Amino acid sequence: MKERKKTAFMKKVLIVDDEPFILMIVEDKLKKAGYHVITRRTSSNAMALVKKETPDLVIMDWMLPGISGLDICKSLGEDPETRGIPVFMLTAKGQEADEVQGYQCGIKQYITKPFSPKALLKLIEETIGKPEQ
Amino acid sequence: MSATSSNNHIRQLQSDLDQTVHELSDVYEEISILYHISQTFAGLTVDEICNKLLDEVQTMLGVETIAIMLVDEERPEVYTALSTGGWKADEVITKSDHIVWDAIEKNKPQVFCDIKNSPHNNTFKKMKAIIACPMAGKKKSLGALVIGEKSSGEEFYSSDTKFLMAISSQAALAIENAYLHQELEGFFFGTVMAFVKAIESRSHWTSGHSERVTRYAAAIAREMGMDSEFRDRLKICALLHDIGKIATPVELLDKRETLENDELTEIEQHPLTGATILGELKPFKDITNGIRYHHEKWDGNGVHEKLKGEAIPLMARIIAVADAFDAMMSDRPYRKKLPADRATKEIQINSGTQFDPDVVAAFMNVKNTLLS
Repeated sequence: MKERKKTAFMKKVLIVDDEPFILMIVEDKLKKAGYHVITRRTSSNAMALVKKETPDLVIMDWMLPGISGLDICKSLGEDPETRGIPVFMLTAKGQEADEVQGYQCGIKQYITKPFSPKALLKLIEETIGKPEQ
Repeated sequence: MSATSSNNHIRQLQSDLDQTVHELSDVYEEISILYHISQTFAGLTVDEICNKLLDEVQTMLGVETIAIMLVDEERPEVYTALSTGGWKADEVITKSDHIVWDAIEKNKPQVFCDIKNSPHNNTFKKMKAIIACPMAGKKKSLGALVIGEKSSGEEFYSSDTKFLMAISSQAALAIENAYLHQELEGFFFGTVMAFVKAIESRSHWTSGHSERVTRYAAAIAREMGMDSEFRDRLKICALLHDIGKIATPVELLDKRETLENDELTEIEQHPLTGATILGELKPFKDITNGIRYHHEKWDGNGVHEKLKGEAIPLMARIIAVADAFDAMMSDRPYRKKLPADRATKEIQINSGTQFDPDVVAAFMNVKNTLLS
């Protein structure tokens, strides 16, 4: 209960990536900065999860088993309920054409792996502000 | 095991795991920087590398004072290649007992969180903290990266030093490559100029011709909006366009009387001979083709292959105009030079027959600057 109370005032970031290692380091960085972090390793039910949790930001891997991160981004952008949530694409796909395709889906930032966790944190702060609301 | 001790054990494991993840995050940070940096530095000049390095360090560490110090090849000194903040732009540090030299010679970063209370308190009067990080190349040390305290007033952490070591060693390798590239480029241009001298030493009539043609050709290409890469290669082509004359008998080059037909044929061989001489330089295909076809004519009535219009490489079409203009403007054993307006008129008259009209148009726009 104590935990719930505390997190209710924290900015919430949802990260979907199938690499546990990436989830761990991003979660570590964001939690230490003071964000409330939710992690998922698959894209299944991602839309429902976003609607339920209404995060301030979504960080999405592109290449996910099942529905791709890009498709999720498209759906997020099309659904009036989720349209306003900024999305970062975090991906190993480094070609310019991929980046263009990503931005066409309405994402806010396209970040290629390997990425700097510090720089990611800075981008998050610039996009949704510091952790405390 | 009691419940309390088992809880303690779990807490300890959790804390260890947190610590490990944190370290993993630092390692990943380093990997991403190295990956990013090695891509950013590739193919840059020393100045460009220094600029990028300074930007990266400033962004990642938020420090005000940064200096990139490079070892002087001639003297036992390091000089400031680039700096920002409270560092004198012309600071030179001679080889002595000094933090920067310690870093270079021991090939280890020198970290002072409180420089005032160190034996080096007089060296960096305005700074509280300093890190000097060596920039070691493959063969030797190239210099050091020096940073002053953070703008935030925070202390330096070991991760900062690790980051600096990672970035400065990448920068050092890139700088070493850039030096090597400069050296090779110098060697290459030296060789080209040696060839030019070899051509021109054979007959005083053509002294300075290659360099003038190069100047004219470069100006025409610039006027035509060609990029610097094309112009650089065109310059080499223009410098070497007459290299085939090395094989032309001197008595023909110096002959005062009108040339016989067979003598003319012999002289006309020089573009082919030139292309053959440089034929082994495979990456120079565009340059050898520029040499091979510089006596072709726009209307297809040239010598050798009788290429026509745009089938003649652009380098050759540009050199054709520059070459003809300089030849008319110079004395020859069999005739006096023409006045500039006559030579220009000849070029114009032959536009569309001997010369590419676009090249002639560009030449007409720049001719006054060429003659001044």
